[in-house]
Amino acid sequence: MNALEIRGLTKKFGDFVAVDNMNLNVREGEIFGFLGANGAGKSTTINMISSLLRTTKGEIDLLGKNIAKNIKFAKMNIGIVPQDLAIYENMNAYENVSFFAGLYGLRGALLKERTEEALDFVGLGDKQKSFPKNFSGGMKRRLNIACAIAHRPKLIIMDEPTVGIDPQSRNYILQSVKKLNQMGSTIIYTSHYMEEVEEICTRIAIVDHGKIIAEGTKEQLKTIITDTKEIWVGVKAEGELPLDSLKQIQGVTSVRFEEGVIKIHSKTEVNNLNRIIQQLIRDQAEIRSVEEQAPNLETVFLTLTGRNLRD
Amino acid sequence: MNVINIALKELKVNLRDFRTFVFMLAFPIVLMLILGTALTNAFTSGATVGDMSLLYRNTASSPQLTQAWNEFSSVLEQQGVKLVAASASEDGKADVQDNQYSGYAEITDNGIRFYGSQRDSIESNIIQGMLSAFADRYNLAAAAMKENPTQAQTILAGASAQQSYVNESSLTAESQPGSMGYYAIAMTTMIAFYSVISGSNLIRGEKTRNTALRLSAAPVSKGSIFAGKVIGVTIVNFLCVVAVVLFSKFAYNADWGTHYPTLLLILFTEVLLAVSVGVGASYLFKGESSRSFVMIFTQIASFLGGAYFPVDPKGVMNVLSNISPMRWANEALTKIIYQGNLQAAWPALGLNIGVAAVFLIVAALFMRRQEAI
Ligand SMILES: Nc1ncnc2c1ncn2[C@@H]1O[C@H](COP(=O)(O)OP(=O)(O)OP(=O)(O)O)[C@@H](O)[C@H]1O
Ligand SMILES: [Mg+2]
Repeated sequence: MNALEIRGLTKKFGDFVAVDNMNLNVREGEIFGFLGANGAGKSTTINMISSLLRTTKGEIDLLGKNIAKNIKFAKMNIGIVPQDLAIYENMNAYENVSFFAGLYGLRGALLKERTEEALDFVGLGDKQKSFPKNFSGGMKRRLNIACAIAHRPKLIIMDEPTVGIDPQSRNYILQSVKKLNQMGSTIIYTSHYMEEVEEICTRIAIVDHGKIIAEGTKEQLKTIITDTKEIWVGVKAEGELPLDSLKQIQGVTSVRFEEGVIKIHSKTEVNNLNRIIQQLIRDQAEIRSVEEQAPNLETVFLTLTGRNLRD
Repeated sequence: MNVINIALKELKVNLRDFRTFVFMLAFPIVLMLILGTALTNAFTSGATVGDMSLLYRNTASSPQLTQAWNEFSSVLEQQGVKLVAASASEDGKADVQDNQYSGYAEITDNGIRFYGSQRDSIESNIIQGMLSAFADRYNLAAAAMKENPTQAQTILAGASAQQSYVNESSLTAESQPGSMGYYAIAMTTMIAFYSVISGSNLIRGEKTRNTALRLSAAPVSKGSIFAGKVIGVTIVNFLCVVAVVLFSKFAYNADWGTHYPTLLLILFTEVLLAVSVGVGASYLFKGESSRSFVMIFTQIASFLGGAYFPVDPKGVMNVLSNISPMRWANEALTKIIYQGNLQAAWPALGLNIGVAAVFLIVAALFMRRQEAI
């Protein structure tokens, strides 16, 4: 069965169309990745799925039931991890989780058990009595997740749960997502980080301007790209880098510099590696490595939308 | 059930908020002290009571009266009144005019005649009050004496044992709050009204914390969220108000009278009114303008309500001040505390609840129209 089925979903804010006639199926047991640049319409879609926003048009079914007609059922079975932290600073970790879980009808011993379970799950079992103001960014993010899972929802929607945190917490969260999935929850995962999506998602949709422009497993998505290659040139980062002159080279579609690596996208059919290297030598860049990247989601995204995932 | 959960959450979050304590407790308590002591002179009718002295001459022949008078005298002395028996040649009235005593009393078989000092008017009023209480009691006892002498003894004995002269005298219709009494009431109703600020943050706070998202995503009706939050925050603010009342009573000896249930009911409804106005304002005015509205409104209402200075009972200010909920509450409280006039509660209760209802309904309608809370 489909955990989630979206048909013709549209959301307008005034004249602005944030989500445009979207169709999407998420199967039970999937970790479904939702990729899109800033303003693509991911959060708006998620908010409509979790009944926070009204739809302008279209239908959403959760586990085969229309959410507008079964609002209580839908709410009981969805857990949302909002993009921005949504916790009470004046309540400790336990109280935060327990308060929200209580809104889902959990009481007494069961409430206590589920609250502790959720906190253990995100690795905050020993911080139950601590207040969020003493938490690191990563711990707050984990608490943000715990608040969404204590009622054991069938569908967990995570809207960029790893923004601005240390690699350790990020790893912890990614592992937790996988574990939640193994325990039977379907997951919709939104992120700006391609590597995360590539690592954990079974299927991915790329959203742009409120529309899904590509959908499939990462392998399927990568096969879309046959005409673009990516060349990485490691350089010693000193002085002016000749990025503009590289862009003049035939076949090159984009050039950017990140952490000591010049990343060049180019058309596959043009063999321009020699010319790129010659240009770099002429500009006296100290080349340390050159490698041609296998096509990745970043390339797919760039090719499809014409922009980088992160600005 | 969810309403209670949400109300409890609201209590917890607010009671742990340090600002609640500084703002809702320390602020009025300090202001009470400053205004209540600095502005004593503005309240001439309630100036502090000085030494009380009573010159008396007992010419009564009745042994019961003399015995009762002697018992009463010791009570008076316990109350800090210095009693001096007039010598045979002394002109008591002249002594009082010379300001040697607060008053002069002649006890005769026909009754007590009292001459009060014009200058120590408060002191002499107090003594007069006690004397008339004594006289009433004695007359009662004397009437009983004819029927049943033992009962008369109990009336007299009971009177001195309970020192009830003093209580009765302090309940005369003329009594007025002194400066501490005034500011105890004014600061308390002001702080009750400051609940407007909590009210205006009620929903906005959840939005800025993003917890509004979680609340809206949970299977809880907007109505429960709204009711729970309003109840919770009203209780928190009311607890602060009660704390201020108790503090002023025990630390500053402010007079709160005896009708606590009625007083507290007025204060509770005032908090409810303030919270409702705040919630309503947060929907009627968007964003920053609601904050400005609330700040300006509370300041004007405090000023007009006499929080800082008593409102001149004549003139245009007096008319204007009637729009301040603090004024309604202050008037009702003063009448109840100082005149025992419980009827005075009704206008304040009615206005508080009525205005609260209007604003709550407005807020609820706005809330229903919105997508999330
Ligand atoms: N309440 C609103 N009123 C008007 N416009 C809105 C509203 N909410 C979102 N938008 C607009 O809709 C578009 C989609 O926003 P949305 O938050 O869904 O993007 P997103 O994909 O989640 O982006 P991000 O990665 O930055 O979170 C944006 O252009 C945004 O400005
Ligand atoms: Mg978003």
